[in-house]
Amino acid sequence: MYVLNFVKMRGFTSAVILFRQLNKGINRSKLTECLPRYSRSYAVIPPPRNSEEKALLAAMLRVDHAGEYGANRIYAGQMAVLGRSQSGPLIQHMWDQEKRHLQKFNEILAENRVRPTALLPIWNVAGFMLGASSALLGKAGAMACTVAVEESISEHYNSQIRALMELDPEGYRGLLQIIKEFRDEEMEHHDTGLDQEAESLPGYQLVKTAIQLGCKAAIYLSERV
Amino acid sequence: MTLKRHAYVWSHAIYAVNKRNAKFQLDMAALLRGLKAGRALRSLGSVAVQAAANPQSSNIRRGFHRAALLRVHDESKNPASSSSSTPHHEHYQAHSLPADEGTSTSTHEASAGGAATGQEDPQVNTSYQDQGGEQNEDYETEEQLAERILTAALDFVPQHGWTIEAIAAGAETLGLSSASTGMFINGAGDLVLHFVGHCNTQLTEILADQHKHVQLGQAEQKKTAEFLRDAVETRLRMYIPYMDTWPQAMSILILPHNIPHSLKHLSTLMDDIWYYAGDRSTDMNWYTKRAALTGIYNTTELVMLQDSSPDFQDTWTFLDNRIQDVVNMAGTAKQVAATGEAVAQGLMGAAVTLKNMTGLNQRR
Repeated sequence: MYVLNFVKMRGFTSAVILFRQLNKGINRSKLTECLPRYSRSYAVIPPPRNSEEKALLAAMLRVDHAGEYGANRIYAGQMAVLGRSQSGPLIQHMWDQEKRHLQKFNEILAENRVRPTALLPIWNVAGFMLGASSALLGKAGAMACTVAVEESISEHYNSQIRALMELDPEGYRGLLQIIKEFRDEEMEHHDTGLDQEAESLPGYQLVKTAIQLGCKAAIYLSERV
Repeated sequence: MTLKRHAYVWSHAIYAVNKRNAKFQLDMAALLRGLKAGRALRSLGSVAVQAAANPQSSNIRRGFHRAALLRVHDESKNPASSSSSTPHHEHYQAHSLPADEGTSTSTHEASAGGAATGQEDPQVNTSYQDQGGEQNEDYETEEQLAERILTAALDFVPQHGWTIEAIAAGAETLGLSSASTGMFINGAGDLVLHFVGHCNTQLTEILADQHKHVQLGQAEQKKTAEFLRDAVETRLRMYIPYMDTWPQAMSILILPHNIPHSLKHLSTLMDDIWYYAGDRSTDMNWYTKRAALTGIYNTTELVMLQDSSPDFQDTWTFLDNRIQDVVNMAGTAKQVAATGEAVAQGLMGAAVTLKNMTGLNQRR
C-alpha cells in the first residue's frame, strides 16, 4: 500500500492506525450531508446582482471550503503522528478551530447552492500526507508546516477581503465578518507555530517555500475545477 | 445602441431574404414587401419632415424598417380593410389593433410615427429623438422578441419539425416577416434550446411551489426516491406533445456547437431537482448524486422515444426500476464501507492481541 511506502514507521500497528485515520476522514465528511434543512434564520450573503458576481462569489466560497477542508486533513495527519506526544493537545486545539471553520463553510455552500470542488478527494489524501510527513520531521516540522500553510491561507483571505470590499462593503458585511474572523484565527495559528520554534527546523526556508507553492497551486485549481 | 440594433436587424433581414430566396421561394413575397416598404417610406417621409429637429439618416432607416414591419403587420392583421390608402388612417388602424398585445413593438412604432395617434398614450414619445427605449416599459428587447417568436414557433413544430420553417411560421403569427428568422443564427438549435430552457423553468417553478407548501406545513416532504421519480416524470411528460419529432430535436442537441448549451441546461436541471429533493451535500456526494440522476434521466428519455404503451407506462416503470437500482447501490456502498471498517477494526484488535502476547506492546 502507498501508505507503507511513504510513511517510514515501525510496526504494522502504526500503519493500521494511519489507515483507519484516513478512512475516518473520508467517512466524517458524509456527516455533513445531514444538515437540518430549514434551520437558516438569516442569510449571510446577499443574492448576487449579475452572473459575473455570482461566478466570482461561487469561486471564492468554493476555494475557501476547499482550503478549510485541506487544513482539517493536515491537522488530522499531524495528530495521527504527534497525537500522543507533548504537542498533541496544542495541535488538537488548532484542529478543533479548523473543524469549526469547515462546518461554517459547509453551511454557506449548502445555503448558496455552490458546487464544491471536484478535487476534494485529492485534497483529502494530499492534506493528510502533508500533515503526517511534516509531523514525522518532529515537532519543529509540524510547526513549520503549520506556519507555511497558515501564512498562505491568511494571505489568501486578505486578498478575498480586499476583493469583497471593492465589490460591495455594505452588502457583504456578514461574509466579510466571517472571513475576517477566520483570518484572525489563522494568524493566531501562524504565530503559535512560530512560538513553538518552527524556525529551528533544518531546511526551514526550503520546506516553507515548497509548502506555500503547493498551497498556491491548490488555491488556483480549486477556484476553477 | 438602439439605432445600431435596428440597423443590424434591417441589414440582417436583407441578407436573410437574399440568402433564403433560393431555398424558401419567398422571392415574390420579398419583392412585394420591398414595394410596400417603398410606398410606406413615401408616406412616412411626410411624417418624418414634421417629426424631429434633427432627422438623422439612421432614423430614416429605422423608420423605413419599422414601416416595413408595420405594413406586413397591417396586412396580416387587417386584410379586409387594407384598401384604405391615407397614411394617417393606416397608422391609426395599426395602432388600435394590438391593444391586447401589451409590449408590442408595432404599437410603439405606430405611435411614434403618427401625429394623430398621439392622444392614445400621453407619455409615449412621438418624435425621433430620445428613442433610447431601454427605460421605456413598452420597448421590447431583441431577446424578448426572439423568445416570443420561438414560443409562437413551438405550435408549428408538429407540422414542420424543429426547423427554420417552424420559426418562420411562428414569426408570421406574430405579424412579423418570416425574414426575421435571420435573427436566429443557430436556426433550429435556437428553437430546441429555447424549448428545453422553457421546460426547465416550468419544472423549477413546480418544484419551488411544492417546496413552499412543504415549508408552510401544508404538505409532507416526499421521500427522496419518490421525489426524484415524480420530478423526472413531470419533466419528461412535457415532451409528450412533441414526441413524434423529439428524435430530431435530440439529434440537434448533440450537434457539436449545441453541446455546451444543452449540457448547461441538463446540469442546471439536475442541480435544481436535487436541491429541491433536499440534497445539501458539500463533498463528492454532490457529484455522484447528480451523475446518477443524469444517467437515469437520459436513459429514461431514450426509452420514452420508442415507447408505444398507453400513457408511456413502460417508461415510468423503467424509471422506477432505475431509481430503485441507484437506491440499492447506495445502500450496498454503505454496507461495504461499514464492512471494511469492521474488518479493519478486527485486524487492529488481532494485532494488539498479538503484540500483548509477544510482549512487544511497551509504551516508551
